[in-house]
Amino acid sequence: MNVTEILFWILSALAIGSALMVLLSKNPVHSVLWLIMVFFAISGHYILLNAQFLFIVNLIVYAGAIMVLFLFVIMLMNLNTDTEPQKNKWLRLAGVVAGGCLMLVFVAAFREAEIQRQQANAAVRLVQMGEGNIGLIENLGKALFHEYVLPFEISSVLFLSAMVGAVVIGKKGD
Amino acid sequence: MNVIVLSAVWGVVMMFSGLFIADKSKAKVVAAIGLIVLLVGNYFDLHHQSFTLSDFNGLLHVDSFGLIFTSIALVSTLLYLLLTGSEMEKVGNHIFEYWALIFFVLCGVALVAVYNNFLMLFLGIEIISIPLYILTGADKRNLKSNEGSLKYFLMGSFSTGIMLMGIAFIYGARGTFALEMPPITTTHLPVMIAIGLTFLAIALSFKVSAAPFHFWTPDVYDGAPTVFTSFMATVVKAAGFIAFVRLFEVSFGGMTDYWQFTIALIIVTTLVVGNITAVFQQSIKRMLAYSSIAQAGFMLFAVYAVNALAKEGILLYAAAYCLATIGIFAVLVKMKDYTFEGFNGLAKQQPLVAFLTTIFLLSLAGIPLTAGFLAKYYMVASAMKSGTYIWLLLIAMLSAAVSVYYYFRVIQAMYFKQGDAAASDITPTFKVVLAITAGLIILLGIFPNSLLLDWFHLF
Repeated sequence: MNVTEILFWILSALAIGSALMVLLSKNPVHSVLWLIMVFFAISGHYILLNAQFLFIVNLIVYAGAIMVLFLFVIMLMNLNTDTEPQKNKWLRLAGVVAGGCLMLVFVAAFREAEIQRQQANAAVRLVQMGEGNIGLIENLGKALFHEYVLPFEISSVLFLSAMVGAVVIGKKGD
Repeated sequence: MNVIVLSAVWGVVMMFSGLFIADKSKAKVVAAIGLIVLLVGNYFDLHHQSFTLSDFNGLLHVDSFGLIFTSIALVSTLLYLLLTGSEMEKVGNHIFEYWALIFFVLCGVALVAVYNNFLMLFLGIEIISIPLYILTGADKRNLKSNEGSLKYFLMGSFSTGIMLMGIAFIYGARGTFALEMPPITTTHLPVMIAIGLTFLAIALSFKVSAAPFHFWTPDVYDGAPTVFTSFMATVVKAAGFIAFVRLFEVSFGGMTDYWQFTIALIIVTTLVVGNITAVFQQSIKRMLAYSSIAQAGFMLFAVYAVNALAKEGILLYAAAYCLATIGIFAVLVKMKDYTFEGFNGLAKQQPLVAFLTTIFLLSLAGIPLTAGFLAKYYMVASAMKSGTYIWLLLIAMLSAAVSVYYYFRVIQAMYFKQGDAAASDITPTFKVVLAITAGLIILLGIFPNSLLLDWFHLF
């Protein structure tokens, strides 16, 4: 077992353990904190795959921004164990079915990939650990500023109009 | 490309002018300069002199169809500014920001006129939609404006979601965002393409308010401040149709057998629902909202027919419809009372304005010698040329006849009923610009080729 494999197992155990804790902890704020843990563990996996950009974005966007929003909402709604709303059983069933479908898709995809790997030569692998440069910022930048420079620049107009709109709608006094 | 860049830049210029110019009434002067700059940019675009002639790896396809539509949109916006620009000051304090948003919308309009990639279609439609959600809710103290804005935002984002889903399915089937599609060789349409086509048709029908996806239109058009309704119902709606026609011509033009019947059904529903409901309206603003649905039914013929005649026709229709509707809204915004009774006896008080309004209404109804007639003629002729579903034309004719009823109700109120229609600040300049707009409609009706359609082959 080399260092990469050891790191992989530790991160995987951390991710699954934290994900379980998200569901099991009674306090919703603790759930959110455990979810942040999950995101950190998954970001670690991105590093192992040499996808540095995804690692940074996952940390900033998911673990940072979105989780802070989650926390805000939970604090604003003042949820705690006493006032936890009871979901009806159909909603739970729907959740189980939806989650089960997603798992089915994952299992099918991995199985397909494994079959293809066996049919092809052994050099084809399911993942490329610590090599490959698809996830590097350099390649992303090249695609963004070469192939997709127009949509990249044009989307700034979209964001600008949304910002102007937020000010127009949100400004007090008129 | 000039217009796309310049409109985005002028939007920013408008924002900064708001910072440095205290006098709110100067906003329309800055905006007018901007529109003239855009028109000059568009002129150079037409002569192939642009900031860049690159097509950005096939993301854009600049052709005379898109560029001429951009000219129509810009001229309409300029007339809109001259006619109703000063009314904007009554809506709220952020005049410069409203104009900045309108310039951003124009950027989106110029984009959907020349896109050649699903990515650009999505960006263009969104750049058009998001400022409109805000403009609809610009009158913050008015509950109807708030309601319309929220409704528009929720339903609009939902339809954008459907559009993205459609694009995702088509990407899944082909592995590229490029608009051109190789002709289908199998006997059946591949399932993923079929789902994508359906979702895209639904989303774009929503954006152009074709029945049965029109439910937001009356509430939003009625709730929004009338100045902005005028812009939404004209330039923006026409841009939606240009995007629609482009998509169905370039992407799905090779598989008309599969979708023409569906579009035919949408046309029939739109024409029938729009016209019949418009008959029962008491408020002219709401009647115009339903009439815009009915006109959308006619414009959908261009999507249905996808031939050269349809492309010329949609340009003519866009021009005729934009000019006439902007004119009517310009008069409507000056009125105290938006009901039909509010127009009673306008001909006595403002003979010229009443006469020009009559020309606009006649054009919308499609009476000969106006641009509206020729536009409807081109639409029907293009559908006839495509040769399928002739019963569609019968329904189109019948609904055009129904539309005459509610347009003539306004004329009847102005000329044949006693009353004291109260119109405020009608200046000589307003009358002159209104007369120019009406003159353009008549000229387009008499010389459509030399004024508009010949350009199509010129550039």
